[in-house]
Amino acid sequence: MTTSSISSAAHLRDCIRDASVRGTPLRITGAGTWLDAGRPVRSVESLSIQGLSGIVDYVPGDLTLTARAGTTLGEIRHETGKHNQWLALDPHGSDKGTLGATIATASAGPLASAFGTPRDLVLGLEFVTGTGSIARAGGRVVKNVAGFDLTRLMTGAWGTLAVLSEATVRLHACPQVDETIAVAIAGDSESLDRTRQLLRRLAFTPYACEVLSGPLAMSVLGRDEPVALFRLAGNIESVTAQRASLLELGQPVDVSSEAWTSLRAAEPTDAIVFRLSRHPSEIGTTWDEAVRLVDGAPGALLHATPARGIVRCILPSSEPTMARIGSALAAPPQSKRVGERMPERLWSAFPNRANSEIGGRLKQAFDPRGLLNPGILGNTV
Amino acid sequence: MAATSVASAPSVSATSSIDQALADRLAAIVGARRVLFRPSELLTYTADALPSYFKQPALAVFPGTRDEVVAVVRELAACGVPFVPRGAGTGLSGGALADGVVLVGLNRLTRVISVDPDNMMATVEPGVVNVALSRAVGAYGLHYAPDPSSQAACTIGGNVAENAGGPHCLKYGVTTNHILALEVILPSGEIVTLGGTDGENEGYDLVGAFVGSEGCFGIALAITVRLSRNPEGVRTLLADFMSIDAAAQTVSAIVATGIIPAALEMIDQATIRAVESSIYAAGYPTDAAAALLIELDGAIAGLEHDVETVETLCRANGARTVRIARDEVERTRLWQGRKKAFGAMGRVSSHLVVQDAVVPRTKLPEVLAQIHRVSQQNRVKVCNVFHAGDGNLHPNIAYDASDADETARVHVAMREIMTLCVDAGGTITGEHGVGLDKIAYMELIFSPESLAAMCTLREVFDPERRSNPGKVVPVHSCREWHMSPAARPSASLA
Ligand SMILES: Cc1cc2nc3c(=O)[nH]c(=O)nc-3n(C[C@H](O)[C@H](O)[C@H](O)COP(=O)(O)OP(=O)(O)OC[C@H]3O[C@@H](n4cnc5c(N)ncnc54)[C@H](O)[C@@H]3O)c2cc1C
Repeated sequence: MTTSSISSAAHLRDCIRDASVRGTPLRITGAGTWLDAGRPVRSVESLSIQGLSGIVDYVPGDLTLTARAGTTLGEIRHETGKHNQWLALDPHGSDKGTLGATIATASAGPLASAFGTPRDLVLGLEFVTGTGSIARAGGRVVKNVAGFDLTRLMTGAWGTLAVLSEATVRLHACPQVDETIAVAIAGDSESLDRTRQLLRRLAFTPYACEVLSGPLAMSVLGRDEPVALFRLAGNIESVTAQRASLLELGQPVDVSSEAWTSLRAAEPTDAIVFRLSRHPSEIGTTWDEAVRLVDGAPGALLHATPARGIVRCILPSSEPTMARIGSALAAPPQSKRVGERMPERLWSAFPNRANSEIGGRLKQAFDPRGLLNPGILGNTV
Repeated sequence: MAATSVASAPSVSATSSIDQALADRLAAIVGARRVLFRPSELLTYTADALPSYFKQPALAVFPGTRDEVVAVVRELAACGVPFVPRGAGTGLSGGALADGVVLVGLNRLTRVISVDPDNMMATVEPGVVNVALSRAVGAYGLHYAPDPSSQAACTIGGNVAENAGGPHCLKYGVTTNHILALEVILPSGEIVTLGGTDGENEGYDLVGAFVGSEGCFGIALAITVRLSRNPEGVRTLLADFMSIDAAAQTVSAIVATGIIPAALEMIDQATIRAVESSIYAAGYPTDAAAALLIELDGAIAGLEHDVETVETLCRANGARTVRIARDEVERTRLWQGRKKAFGAMGRVSSHLVVQDAVVPRTKLPEVLAQIHRVSQQNRVKVCNVFHAGDGNLHPNIAYDASDADETARVHVAMREIMTLCVDAGGTITGEHGVGLDKIAYMELIFSPESLAAMCTLREVFDPERRSNPGKVVPVHSCREWHMSPAARPSASLA
């Protein structure tokens, strides 16, 4: 496999045009920290946007930042932190990942409960389509309806319509107080429902609330019991009140904010990872389904985002686990399944994401020769 | 329903296939009373709320149910007739109008189809009026957050099409952040579901692509929105300043603290005076250069602390007085002045142009000073009342359209204002949409390739470009994309 590294949008366009002439599909990569995510890509060449990096424009008073797609989240965290600001995106993995890949894959972590997913934070994009056009959509201001919304179309398209070269994102000012609190809970479906009901009733929205299974809590916090992990932020009075309102769930215990970093990095490199979801009000049932699915897989880790109705399953890979989970997944799903990464043969249990009439037409319109990440979302119709 | 014949053939028709026979077939679907074709009946539908563009539709048809909309769109597809969806017609970009088309009015589809208070969402028909939705879910302690100032009249369908904003979108996000799923009838007559509610949406963000499509991608038949909890506490402040600059600095200072006000609106002296001399008088000080209307909301714990911080910042940046509404009556009154400002200015002169540019927030003081200079140079009266927290300006000019000289000066000033906002790193429209009004400015901010990419997206939904023809992207951008092989890299490579 050959790899080329990109230094400018024009260079990116030339590479795509060249690949088009040669009829060579491309695997688009960022920092390469999550290349096994998505379905296997049928390509022989890699195109890395990692070299296309650096912050282009950052005026702290505007609370917006423009960076090239290969800029790491870590660099953005570092620069914005100097001004007591941050980009409220914490995709699983680490801050070594690039901004471009995070947006392209619409990757979100625990903060999505309060701040939304990349679609809610991206203000503008520059990208190069599969037809070799450099285009811009959106802009650098926080509100914008000029033209059709290609920004949202490209966010989460997994680089199958265009390759992102630059993005402008909305930043937030850091809160006065930002605390991480663990509350031990039973870890059964009823405790998940109660946590969700509490979140629904509260007068505030925690920055994050994740429920961790016992084994995951062990790896993240060193305590072998299921916990609800909260991130509470705001002014002192507000956080004090927020903390008090958690009492009905159990005793709040302060833990290090490092817990979030550990949670993001909890999955072993070759793990099988997927998510189940349905309405938030059904989180208990979804959790039960996840528990049944991973039953008997050694080292399985689960965490739920009650406010979003999602349960994420992490299974250390082994032959017996693969066989077990393969047959478990063969049963008709009760929840929606979203695959993150897994060996090729397990993908058949996950719906084909590009498989809609409009999806097919979009691919045909923006990448008619099928050059960009072919197959990563499944085949288009 | 019995097929009733429409009395006489529509006279105006740019499209030859819009004839008596079509009118009759549409009447058979919706009833003869719901098909309008006399110029006098169509008058309302020749313009939206922007009194600068007039287009004559050939027919207007008003289906009363989802199935009737489907049948109408399929009938139009069968004979290849262009159409324009229309909600309440409160648009401010010349969006819901076109010559020689069939106008499809959706204002009769006013059913709230379902409410799921536990999961905080509701599904509605497109003609549901914005404020009626919030009223319908109020009993559950919920509301629909995006609140255009026109919320008493505009429809959710129109909001989706324009990706509408409103004062409270600073904290809560604009329409696109609140739409979970859409049922859409494409111009071809095909029905598609975009997005979904039971579980995560993945794959292409087709909801995101549709929201803001200005009626060019088809008609939204059903819309599932996210609802928001009513805040436990709300505090509304009015701070007035002796200079615009001080008011603008205060905006930046508040934004920098990390406190996100629910709303942060600026009203300048000209607007204050127009409001105060109207029936909407809100008690704004008429000698102030500008006032900020600031609202903080959320959990009661910690709210007062934020109110104090904001009040201190206002004073530190030169506020003369800071008034905090004591009760709901006072709060409503303070808001009334802001929400009815356009109405009040309508009284000043016969015509009004409204702009909607957005600039980076740190550029507000500089841009406002430049706008002032432009207004003086061109001898026009610019009023500013706008969403300062997001840098979304609404400079508007009241004038007398029968005065050719004044009209010309207004247009020059408008273009200069738009150009200076773009030069400051801004955009041409923050919430009103491009429609016809800003189409000429699209090339100021987008390259031919970017415009072509937008045409490409449009054609995925509407390959014949029959839905709301001639809006958003200049026609020549699309035409060039089609005609010139060089403009199509794939073609030149093939
Ligand atoms: C006094 C005043 C204040 C305003 N304040 C604000 C504000 O604060 N924020 C803001 O964003 N806007 C504001 N507006 C503008 C306007 O109210 C919004 O754009 C609103 O969303 C338009 O809704 P409508 O139902 O009137 O749509 P219309 O004007 O009827 O149509 C607007 C567009 O939507 C399309 N459309 C309508 N229904 C559908 C459908 N079901 N499917 C597909 N396309 C459809 C039309 O084709 C057209 O292109 C204001 C207008 C006025 C007059």
